[in-house]
Amino acid sequence: MLATEISPKTDVRTDEELVGIVVGGEVDCFEELINRYQSRVFGMARKYFRNESDVEDVVQTIFTKTFQKLDSYKGTAPFEHWFMRISVNSFYDALRRKRNRPEHTISDTIFDDESWQDRLGNIPEASDREEQEQARELVHTVLDQVSDRARIVLTLQELEGRTIKEIAEITGWSESLVKVQAFRARKEMRAAVERFLSREKRIVT
Amino acid sequence: MAMTANEIEKKLLKLAKSVQNDKRAPVNFSARVMARVREQHALETSSADERFLKFARNLPGNEHVPYAFEKRIMACIRELLTPDPLAFWSRMLWRAVAPCFGVMILAALFSTKESTGAFIDQATFDPAETMTETVDSESTDFETVMLASFDDLENTW
Repeated sequence: MLATEISPKTDVRTDEELVGIVVGGEVDCFEELINRYQSRVFGMARKYFRNESDVEDVVQTIFTKTFQKLDSYKGTAPFEHWFMRISVNSFYDALRRKRNRPEHTISDTIFDDESWQDRLGNIPEASDREEQEQARELVHTVLDQVSDRARIVLTLQELEGRTIKEIAEITGWSESLVKVQAFRARKEMRAAVERFLSREKRIVT
Repeated sequence: MAMTANEIEKKLLKLAKSVQNDKRAPVNFSARVMARVREQHALETSSADERFLKFARNLPGNEHVPYAFEKRIMACIRELLTPDPLAFWSRMLWRAVAPCFGVMILAALFSTKESTGAFIDQATFDPAETMTETVDSESTDFETVMLASFDDLENTW
């Protein structure tokens, strides 16, 4: 007897169709939407939070909030844009809440074996988990020094490569405000990097 | 027969056009060019913040999803959908706060107006006597209310 191969179920319905079905009362269809977006949201969340439990909390909040607000989705813009807006707003809220209890300082991320400048030159291999973790730690430590708005703009523009227009759509800010925020964000980041470097120099000497 | 300069030029052009283009590139040419491009880029992005951004941008993303995470979310959502009588009760109580407060203020205003009205009526009837009586009765009432709890203490059996 030949074993029948079970192919993974692929739902061909669009996001908008699924939203309509969920709003209509079939709550279980929301699971398909979670399956479609969860990996991307986890990837984004890990750029803002280093702690895995914080990442899970914020992703859970995003999906719960999305479900609660599904009624207000009008369908004028793609679901993905609407969902990304909820996600980024949730990241911003979570960052603001976390701002009051900082966990790491610059000095925690000074490496004994390698200077910061050297480390920046070595982008870790995808296979080297430990190196990657250290690299992420470094990025988080620097980005933790900037304001929440600046962090959102830096992550969207510099790390995710989004355009000013896209950021304006996601955040709900005007394009000119995004430009101003991006300029301030770069300034804040430059100051944070300089602080980092000067501290390292002081420790070395 | 000698050719004119114009004819020579035309012939040369024709000859040049007939020559096949050699499209072969030297070995590793693209790699060499890219090395120069990277060098140039490194020079341009030599400032620390640029280097930091480049470093952060090139870090591989981690899109790992914990096992059965979607089930967990769905469980939360189902929990949200089941009605909680206590939550409903507290929500209703909070909603009732504002109207109750409004009713309280209205009742207070109404009672103040009533007592002032009664006082004026009495005052017009017999000004000197009624005034003294009202003040007396109010002070007696106040005393009774204040000492009510102490009166109860005497009857402890």
